[in-house]
Amino acid sequence: MKSIKTFSIALVSLFLLGGCELNELDNYDGPDASISGAIYDQETGELVQQDIINGMQIEYIEHGFDNPQTQFMVVKNDGTYRNNLMFSGTYTIRPVRGNFVPVNSEEVVVSGATTKNFNVQPYIRVRNVQINKKGNKIVATFNLDQTVTNKVVRIGLFAHREPNVGQPLNSVSSLVNLNEVTNDVTQYRLEINLDAYTSALKAGNEYYFRVGALIDAPEAKYNYAPPVRIGI
Amino acid sequence: MMKNRSYKYLILALLIGVFSSCNDYLELDPKNKVPVEAVLSDPNGIKGYLANLYYELPMEDFVYFPRAGYNARGNTGSLSLSQYGLEAIHSEWPNWNEFNNQWWTRGYQLNRDINLLEESVAKVSFSAAERTAIEGEIAFLRAYTYYALVKIYGGVPIITENQEYTTDWASLRVPRNTEKETWDFVLAQLDIAFEKLPASRQSADETKRRATKWAAAGLKSRVALHAASVAKYWNRAPLSGEAVTAGLVGLPASEANRYYQAAIEASEAVMGSGQFGLYMPNPANPQDAARNYQNLFMDPNVALTEVLFMRGYGHAGGPLAHDYDGWNNPNQTGEGFPHVGRTNPVLELVDQYENYGNPGVASPIITTTDGQVREGEFNPSTNYIRFSSPEEIFQGKDARFFASIIHPGAEWKGTEIVIQGGIIRPDGSVLNAKGTVVHQGVTYHTYGAATSNQYSGFEGTPNMTRSGFLLKKFLDERAKIKTWLQSTTDYIDIRYAEVLLNYAEAVVESGLGSTERATQALNDIRKRAGHTVAIPLNLTNVLRERSVELAFENKEYWDLIRRRTYHQIFNNYVKTALVPMLDLRGAQPAYIYVRKDVPGARPNTFPERDYYRSIPGVNNNGLIQNPQH
Repeated sequence: MKSIKTFSIALVSLFLLGGCELNELDNYDGPDASISGAIYDQETGELVQQDIINGMQIEYIEHGFDNPQTQFMVVKNDGTYRNNLMFSGTYTIRPVRGNFVPVNSEEVVVSGATTKNFNVQPYIRVRNVQINKKGNKIVATFNLDQTVTNKVVRIGLFAHREPNVGQPLNSVSSLVNLNEVTNDVTQYRLEINLDAYTSALKAGNEYYFRVGALIDAPEAKYNYAPPVRIGI
Repeated sequence: MMKNRSYKYLILALLIGVFSSCNDYLELDPKNKVPVEAVLSDPNGIKGYLANLYYELPMEDFVYFPRAGYNARGNTGSLSLSQYGLEAIHSEWPNWNEFNNQWWTRGYQLNRDINLLEESVAKVSFSAAERTAIEGEIAFLRAYTYYALVKIYGGVPIITENQEYTTDWASLRVPRNTEKETWDFVLAQLDIAFEKLPASRQSADETKRRATKWAAAGLKSRVALHAASVAKYWNRAPLSGEAVTAGLVGLPASEANRYYQAAIEASEAVMGSGQFGLYMPNPANPQDAARNYQNLFMDPNVALTEVLFMRGYGHAGGPLAHDYDGWNNPNQTGEGFPHVGRTNPVLELVDQYENYGNPGVASPIITTTDGQVREGEFNPSTNYIRFSSPEEIFQGKDARFFASIIHPGAEWKGTEIVIQGGIIRPDGSVLNAKGTVVHQGVTYHTYGAATSNQYSGFEGTPNMTRSGFLLKKFLDERAKIKTWLQSTTDYIDIRYAEVLLNYAEAVVESGLGSTERATQALNDIRKRAGHTVAIPLNLTNVLRERSVELAFENKEYWDLIRRRTYHQIFNNYVKTALVPMLDLRGAQPAYIYVRKDVPGARPNTFPERDYYRSIPGVNNNGLIQNPQH
């Protein structure tokens, strides 16, 4: 009886395999390489701060396919990125829709642990940032050093409990529309009055504050200074 | 044992069958289906076929939901288009922000059906007049179809001839046309339709529900305005990438005035036809105006003068009825329908309605004695205005507010609708969870009444409003809705007021056309709503008028898209509720109102890439994908 059972199972498997060509197994290797790097300011060598949500992306297209799809990586707020699940091969790669002057695509050969950094010209450098709690206000002062002749649309001070704070992720923001070309000597000042946001910014907790400025260019994202953690 | 073994032989036999199934002896003509030639070779067959094409049209009516699609019935969740913008929020899913109004496959299926019809019509004998009318109808259906495609996807492949199946895949792959070519194609089809369609048909029913010359002109006014806005405002949210470089999405600003001109001409054709007018254009007073406006949507058949094109519903209990009343009645008048109170109008819309005392400007709901618009949680040190009844705060608002929205204290189906979000205790502390406060011998309940069938808001369950308001427009006040598919209210797809508003917007945006006529159009609509003071033509006035007149008609979502303001508004944005509270701090209990974020709603951001949907199946169809999808 048992042999009949074994025999029928074997027979069934045989038919199934034969019927659906399942003997052609997926025999491709998995991802075997990684890529990492960062977006650097070509002049100062500093990391260019980004947004992880709705921020810039790195576009990459793998070579060797007829109709390849464009793939995307996101960049962390500090300007670094990493993808540990890459296939070895040649790629056309380009950082896009960022807070810097658009750059050309490059070819990169990815194998093993590959590092690829991008040197860019950020639209705006946010400098001399001071963010402090003064009385019941958070006060930020800073200068803007813009590298292009476009207008600066607006500046903002953003607050959130996560260090990924920015324009797309904030519980409180203070925005000022500038719509002007800035110079690097004017000091800008933004405030958040804590009394007005007692439910969003609770006393006794720590929050991250970050200032940013947006240039008037197609698809531009905010340029930022690194976030500052303040207990209120 | 015997039984068991025969079972195995049966499986074995079946498997052998599967293994050898590549024969053609199963290729029989099905007995339960009618072959296409039988239907499309006969004039009456073609009429029946046409009726189905109307059913399949991408009309955003009572049975359209972005996720579930067109003609969606059953448990759709009632996640309607009005909940995406600044009109309303959903009572159960306040954070629903899935941008998923896909219509690619169904759209091209409909396109194929239209092409098949055109192919067959050429072979059937009609009188010359009949043939012209059907050709016009085909152009209208085609324009309607491609309008839905172009507004969702940008430029799409224009396929006007039926493709025969072949294994030569390359010949079946049609590349995308540019966005400009696609808009121009839709407008050109509407010109053909306008030329060939009759001005009226055999009965009023048929005239209003089947394409006519005027339906084509009305649709053209809508389509051209959409294209013009995309051209004018593309730079508010420019995209980049292959699809943009190739012109598959995006229109140059230099095209804007050509499209505005087309919108103006189409609207003027309707306005000058003498066939249409506003329903009840001269109300005696605001109460009258509110009643007329409510009737216009409760039963459009009383207001056919305003209708250019509508869709009929009927046969309660069957597949041609809908559930709009069921989903949207207040909890107190739920009458046994399992899911009620879903569409909750938000304060952003309520604020837009004018006050008769201050014509020409939006009239936000003022809750504090300083006369400013104050938002935030209840604060004991804020001086709230104290009202003796819940409806007093809305006094003097535009008639259309009362006809479109059920507010706290409103009377609906003979019941006072109770919407209350909490109680301020005599010591200034807040009770906003279910409970009671006994004060001077009287028991007060958090939500305004003792049991949940006696109130309609803020309890936190899906049947209760979370914005402070409930939907009224389109709901049948005379109906009792106890179960599914009981609503048969017809839907006006294109009405005269929209054409007037399209005209006013096109004139004010382009400077073309007649400012005088546009001002008149704007004020005619306001007059019908009980206003007596004329206001000047400017963009703010036109857009405010549009949002209040066309509220919940599924226009605002596309206004946000075409004018590229979606991402500007929905940028970490939380919609606003108006929460009535019973204040027990004074000598007499009073109602105060708190403007604050809708409870449970989180910040919402519109990604700019969602101005266009992703095209499905680009690996197979070889099309260029839309930016960032």
